[in-house]
Amino acid sequence: MEIGATIKSLDPSVAAASPQEADAKTELDALLYDHRGEDGAFAGTAGSGAFRVSEWEAGKRAVLAANEDYRQGRPFVDAIEIQMGRSAHERVVDLELNKTDFVQIPAEQARQAADRGVRVSASQPDELLALVFVRSRAATGDARVREAIARCIDRAAIVNFILQKEGEPAGGLLPQWSSGTAFLFSLDTDAHGAKEIRPQIPASTKFVLGYDSADTLEQSVAERIAVNAKEAGISLASRAMPTPGTKRANANDSKPEPEIHVDARLIHLRMPSPHPRISLTAFINRLGSLAGIADSPLPESASPEDIYYSERSIINSGLVVPLVWLPQVVGLSAQVRDWKRPEAGQSWPLADVWLDSAADAR
Amino acid sequence: MTFRSKLFVNFMLALLVSVALVAAGVTIVTRRAFAELNREHMDALVAQFHKEFERRGHDVLNRVQGIADAEPTVRMAIDLSRPNADISVYVNDARGVAQSHQLDFLDFVGTDGSIISSAEWSARFGYKMEWVTQKEDWASRGSFLMKLDTQDGPALALMAVATVRVGDKDLYVVGGERLGKEFLASLVLPSNMRALLYLHLEPAFQPVNLIDSAGPVTEAERFEPIIERERSHPSEQTAKIDWTFDAASSEIFHLIPLLGRQNELLGVLLIGNSLRTVVTLERHILWLAIGVAAMGLLFGLMLSWWGAARVTLPVRKLAAGAREVSDGNWNTRVAVRGHDEIGQLAQSFNRMTQQLVDQRERLIQAERVAAWREVARRLAHELKNPLFPLQTTVENLQRASAQNPDQFEEVFRESTGILLAEIENLKIIVGRFSDFAKMPQPELGPVDLNEVIRNVVKLFEAQFGAVGRPPITPELHLKENLPTIQADTTLLHRVIENLILNAMDAMPAGGILMMRTTQENGNVDFEISDTGTGLTHEEAERIFTPYYTTKQHGTGLGLAIVQAIVADHSGRISVESETGVGTAFHVELPIKPPNHPATPVTVSEEEKKEEA
Repeated sequence: MEIGATIKSLDPSVAAASPQEADAKTELDALLYDHRGEDGAFAGTAGSGAFRVSEWEAGKRAVLAANEDYRQGRPFVDAIEIQMGRSAHERVVDLELNKTDFVQIPAEQARQAADRGVRVSASQPDELLALVFVRSRAATGDARVREAIARCIDRAAIVNFILQKEGEPAGGLLPQWSSGTAFLFSLDTDAHGAKEIRPQIPASTKFVLGYDSADTLEQSVAERIAVNAKEAGISLASRAMPTPGTKRANANDSKPEPEIHVDARLIHLRMPSPHPRISLTAFINRLGSLAGIADSPLPESASPEDIYYSERSIINSGLVVPLVWLPQVVGLSAQVRDWKRPEAGQSWPLADVWLDSAADAR
Repeated sequence: MTFRSKLFVNFMLALLVSVALVAAGVTIVTRRAFAELNREHMDALVAQFHKEFERRGHDVLNRVQGIADAEPTVRMAIDLSRPNADISVYVNDARGVAQSHQLDFLDFVGTDGSIISSAEWSARFGYKMEWVTQKEDWASRGSFLMKLDTQDGPALALMAVATVRVGDKDLYVVGGERLGKEFLASLVLPSNMRALLYLHLEPAFQPVNLIDSAGPVTEAERFEPIIERERSHPSEQTAKIDWTFDAASSEIFHLIPLLGRQNELLGVLLIGNSLRTVVTLERHILWLAIGVAAMGLLFGLMLSWWGAARVTLPVRKLAAGAREVSDGNWNTRVAVRGHDEIGQLAQSFNRMTQQLVDQRERLIQAERVAAWREVARRLAHELKNPLFPLQTTVENLQRASAQNPDQFEEVFRESTGILLAEIENLKIIVGRFSDFAKMPQPELGPVDLNEVIRNVVKLFEAQFGAVGRPPITPELHLKENLPTIQADTTLLHRVIENLILNAMDAMPAGGILMMRTTQENGNVDFEISDTGTGLTHEEAERIFTPYYTTKQHGTGLGLAIVQAIVADHSGRISVESETGVGTAFHVELPIKPPNHPATPVTVSEEEKKEEA
């Protein structure tokens, strides 16, 4: 198995340095822990899950051995060797060369990989890529500015060209399959409306849209938004931001990192659960500190209407602009059998798969 | 300034002017040669640029055409020609193709002008590139310059378009190279030249758009005037920028406008040629010329000095000879060899002095004859007067003895008396001639000239106011503290006495006799003038000639004696006279005559009083 993230520690008390590490750690935790709460948190002790850690090289390699005492029965595979920090290209190539059986594939490369004959499995779209305006920036304080930018974004082009149709345009914070109300949010591009708002914005206003420098998808989307804004007459520049937790090439350099001021940034919001209330609550918690969204958590008794109105309230604030829904895409070798596409919030069902050694011969 | 110095100065001036002309000529020729060399370098570089530009254009065109002809592109065109073709498949193709073909810009553009894939700005897919679909034969168009919008702002690129036609649909392959510092770095330039590129991407001059192979140019604002001029009139021009007051810092720029498809100005290539090397070389040559000129001048100075000395030596000999002649040495001869003008002049000089000597001899001889004739005439005249009475008296005696013997005794007595008187008169005349002939040599001693004048005047005071004669008024203007002179008092006394007598004879109707003494140039001068009848010009010229007189009973020896005495004292006498106004005699006497060294003594008034 090969993943792109590098996991420094499996200790739950050690926070992940980046969203990628956090996601990868969540996937491994799902294999190491027996029980997972409604909010996605794991309970119990490490090793109570389907696998146990037999070898560990922080950030490089890990070997998970099958837990003979697993409550739901021993996994079919004896062990899973995990190579960390592999690039998407390396992962796909290794899969094609049968050097690995299971790899993560970025959604935007899924189609290309499939065209090359790779066995690809994509989940339901459960990860939202959104544009969030930074609350502390004066340039974004004007609702007209946010509205103009939101109107000019061409989501369909992002999905069709950048994601190669591996995803869905996002108008709300929850996907249609989860909330059932996503169709109520507009997905249309309104460049004309954006141009009409443009004269109301001071000509000197220049916006900076930040993206994770390690995330090629974010870079492509940010550049596309910049083009959309340019066509609408809005000065918006995309700028790479250092990936959280990454170190500079020269670690001995004692100079502080220059602070990059951005007016908005792209973020990934992955649904922790297929339940809309739980996911929306998680999203609100995530967006609260960044965009200044202060909606109260939804109670367990919240009805679909309550969820919709809460979602609508956030969208109407203009602080968050949903862009696209991304699926979780994995590549599987021909040996992998009984693979089931995971639901939203569910982890890779690696305990249930088995390897058909004869398949390789075929 | 001597003739030699003048000749030397003239030689030096001529040499200096010649050296200056040669130096100026060398400088001008050198400067023109360097300017021509610079122009050739510049032309070569401009030609290189045009060639490189054309080569790159062909290169870009070939690469773009190669991409268009490649199988993947043809398949893409075929795929896109189908109804409902999925263009998203190709959105990332341009980048890889551009990298493999080393193009900075590459866009696949659909038949409607929509960007299918963009290498430099991949996010621009779907937007229109309408200029591509304009009616233009891209195959024959070749490469062209174009201003492109990029993520980092506008850029200048050398572009080419190739078309892949499938059915009635076109797939445009638009590719190019960025025209920037990489292009400048590819130009091979001499060490003293540089190439700059101004990207005319903004309406107004932007210093940051002026780049060289390393990036933005420092002090770019200095280029604004020439860039503005180029923007106003796009053409190949030349401009000069003086970076500092030092001429070596100057730089000549050749401006080449870079035009787009519509002949719009998109950029300006500036090929700069630093004048530092040229100016430094010119200065070296100039200093070398100055050094050579200085050496030449020094050598010329010595040569001129020697040459002037050599050339002027005969002239100086001639001048010395002339001085000798002017000092009275007429036997002087100048020894000059050669047959040039100077030699001829020397020969002429020698002939002239020889002729002078000969003529002087002849003149002396003639004067001597004339003097003897004059002496004879005067002697005959003087002796004739007493001889006639003697003859008459003797004849009376003879007649009385023959005719009147009784009265002979009486006649004899009277006649002998007359004879004795006339004989006495003859003796006086003979005595005067004897005196002039026996003029004594002066016995020099300290003489107070003022005192001598006063003494002589005292002797004549009675005659000045004699009864029956019109009065003569003496006026003395004697300089006080006149130094004593070395002279013979008796002779000086005689000089002044003769001059006063002469003046008195000239003033039969009375008048003023003025005597003045002065001191000038080591001489003591005295002047005796009268207000008498004056002399004619001819009389004044002959007044000092012995035995010449204007008076009825004069011997003509008085002023001759005066001149002789003055000459014996190494002095000089002259006369100025105007008929009817008066006559003035001016005598110059040296304080210390030659060959009679003596210290002039000034006689004070107290000493004079004591002497008195």
